[in-house]
Amino acid sequence: MDDEFPTRDEDELHTRLKAYEGRAATVAGVGRDPVNAPMIRHWCEAMGDRNPAYTGPDAIAPPTMLQAWIMGGLSGHGGRARAYGELLALLDEAGCTSVVATDCEQEYLRPLRPGDEVTFDTVIESVSGRKTTKLGTGYFVTTRTDIRVGGASAGTHRFRILKYAPAGHDLKDRDQDRNQDGDRNQDGDRNQDRGRQEAARRPRPVVNRDNAGFWEGVRRHRLLVQRCTACATLRFPWLPGCGTCGSAGWDTVEASGEGTVYSYVVMHHPPFPAFSPPYAIGLIELAEGVRIVSNVVDVPYDKVRIGLPVELEFRAYDDDSVLPVFRPRAGEAAA
Amino acid sequence: MSVRTRDSLGGRAAIVGIGATEFSKDSGRSELRLAAESVRAALADAGLTPADVDGLVTFTMDTSPEITVAQACGMGELSFFSRVHYGGGAACATVQQAALAVAAGVAEVVVCYRAFNERSGRRFGSGVRHREPSAEGTALGWTLPFGLLTPASWVAMTAQRYLYAYGLTPEDAFGPVAVTARRHAAANPAAYFHGRPITRADHAASRWIAEPLRLLDCCQETDGGQALVVTSVERARDLRQPPAVVTAAAQGAGRSQEQMTSFYRDDLTGLPEMSVVARQLWRGSGLAPADIDVGILYDHFTPFVLMQLEEFGFCAPGEAPAFVAEDRLPLNTHGGQLGEAYLHGMNGVAEAVRQLRGTSVNQVPGAARTLVTAGTGVPTSGLVLTADGAVEG
Amino acid sequence: MRAGDELPPLEIAITRTLIVAGALASRDFQDVHHDPELARAKGSPDIFMNILTTNGLVGRYLTDHFGPAAVLRKVAVRLGAPNHPGDTMVLRGRVEEVEGDTAVVRVTGDNGIGRHVTGTVTVTVPGLAPTPAPDPSDGRPGGVG
Repeated sequence: MDDEFPTRDEDELHTRLKAYEGRAATVAGVGRDPVNAPMIRHWCEAMGDRNPAYTGPDAIAPPTMLQAWIMGGLSGHGGRARAYGELLALLDEAGCTSVVATDCEQEYLRPLRPGDEVTFDTVIESVSGRKTTKLGTGYFVTTRTDIRVGGASAGTHRFRILKYAPAGHDLKDRDQDRNQDGDRNQDGDRNQDRGRQEAARRPRPVVNRDNAGFWEGVRRHRLLVQRCTACATLRFPWLPGCGTCGSAGWDTVEASGEGTVYSYVVMHHPPFPAFSPPYAIGLIELAEGVRIVSNVVDVPYDKVRIGLPVELEFRAYDDDSVLPVFRPRAGEAAA
Repeated sequence: MSVRTRDSLGGRAAIVGIGATEFSKDSGRSELRLAAESVRAALADAGLTPADVDGLVTFTMDTSPEITVAQACGMGELSFFSRVHYGGGAACATVQQAALAVAAGVAEVVVCYRAFNERSGRRFGSGVRHREPSAEGTALGWTLPFGLLTPASWVAMTAQRYLYAYGLTPEDAFGPVAVTARRHAAANPAAYFHGRPITRADHAASRWIAEPLRLLDCCQETDGGQALVVTSVERARDLRQPPAVVTAAAQGAGRSQEQMTSFYRDDLTGLPEMSVVARQLWRGSGLAPADIDVGILYDHFTPFVLMQLEEFGFCAPGEAPAFVAEDRLPLNTHGGQLGEAYLHGMNGVAEAVRQLRGTSVNQVPGAARTLVTAGTGVPTSGLVLTADGAVEG
Repeated sequence: MRAGDELPPLEIAITRTLIVAGALASRDFQDVHHDPELARAKGSPDIFMNILTTNGLVGRYLTDHFGPAAVLRKVAVRLGAPNHPGDTMVLRGRVEEVEGDTAVVRVTGDNGIGRHVTGTVTVTVPGLAPTPAPDPSDGRPGGVG
């Protein structure tokens, strides 16, 4: 899963953390020891793994040992680039002093055998927005390591950690927010909520000068369609001119809210944090004749069908976002 | 060729060299290095040197600038450099740009290239969560808040309507395209699906990605580079390889065109932009569907292969699934992007060249007239490439 | 083997020895994997298994089932409820997809407090399909000329 986590524009710390994306965490690292039989044996004994492929003269290392060959051990990591240390230090300063590994994704391109000398490069792939988990609030840091033997790629290792302030401890910049706002309790609560909701926050509408009127209408619970003042053609999406006659003049009409499902998609993969697959997205043809992409709600995803009569509803998502969505029209069986 | 009248480009330029890196899931090297490797390979294939090159063309999406590729390959002064927009829709248009430059005398030897770490780096399939509020970003952004975030899902919306219009199931409609591509890929050592043909049952059993699309309806996200060398037909005749003559080349955008989300127009059962390309290619080449020996139709997802066959007139609307199931046209003989590699359509142009040279792993005997298309669902392009002398100039 | 097949479950006793031996075998000296006092100071009730051990156990679960000729291609795991000493984890697997001789298996591991791990393993089992499948990832040269 390569999905990024949602970001919060106003989170200054996150902006600073984000700047580390793409920077090297380790350059030209070298495994502390060559791949070797004793470490393989210790591993197999610990895991209870009796696979004969891991013993004898033709032994390979268990593929899942990939990361073990690049671990620093008690003496720590040599060869780490400055960027990774700076990133962790920023998080420490913000109160995110604890760390837990959450994800490991490995691809094995060729087996490792005793005697192989492992080299590796690690990049900071992504830093998530602030997330609140059971453990506490913090940031996910994802790194990606390419592991090579003799210059040839042997595998890749993607690793995600959560750097967090244990539950009950405050994040430092939350303190700063509180000081600025001067309202301790209210703001603390609001931040807590924001942290939770951010985990499941939908992508924002893309708003510019040409379509701001549409989203302003949505905010006031009105679905506005543009109409050309020269040829009266209705149009959606919003544009500063008519695709039929070329006229720049336009006004708006408010949609009645009635429509039918013209087409639909059921999303299964990849998963996105704000949506729980499977979920249905409809292309709704409004009674006025224009179409809009939206969600079909209040009906199981597998009951959505082409031709289903639907009606408009404005629904609040996240903390500050209203979206026009469509539910089956009253009296219409979805099945 | 213009939309209205026949142009004078046909028969003026040819593809004389093709070169690629390996296609992999993790190249282990930079996109620039992939670009440079493929450019050098294509020049070596043509029997030319970097010093012969005076023009470069790529995609606006490519991260390796023409001037940087020129430096990394040891090229000198350039008199022509150009980029084409709209993702994979650029593929055949890079060759059109090169042919235009050669025909007008703006450049003599032009290399077209595309290279990326699309699998190990930024995967298109992982979706989009944010767009800038530019005109383009805003047009692309209407679907985001509702969770329609991936290329597969954008194609699926149109595919669903196609199935509905013709009363088809995903298995019967898309299965033949999925199977045909992997059958060809199975014989191609460069292909992801080398040695791994699939059955209709495998297709039907693969998991949903964006219903009605399954995993086996989707292309192979790839790291790699592909380059093509274009020069005049006259010069081509003195070079090492038989020329693949650019007999017709065209771009096309439809009315009310969007990128991947043209949901707001007509009946969503076809690809109007490809119809614009088709009309120009048939008129410019003087050929008809029955004249084509091999079709290389852009296949990032199976449904749009069907719609292309219909837009080009190989069969009537709604009949493409049967057309493919009956193998009535050798199609994507390299395995396509479904089976060989997703290289933004450029590997398909190379396959058409191999067919004309007689060197494809799935060679169609005597192949002399090929049709190649670029990215579907976006403003796009196409080529009719022919063996020298196969079409009246 | 076909999509939908279930692997027999594997029960793993989460002993303190397993947690510590796994951490040291993977050269992971983070205190939370061997020192109960320091683990408690960090808000955990006891030491807990490191991710490398979980990864190793998931790999073992697959090769135990498919035999020594099976080749692991990819292992992706996500951790949830931690494995503390005294608990038992039950690994379960379900074949999601079979292409040629390569299968994608969805793995879960549940312990007494919840789901410790969800994972996806891609494994090649020679002889599973009539034609031998090459390693799809080893980037053979080709496509030139």
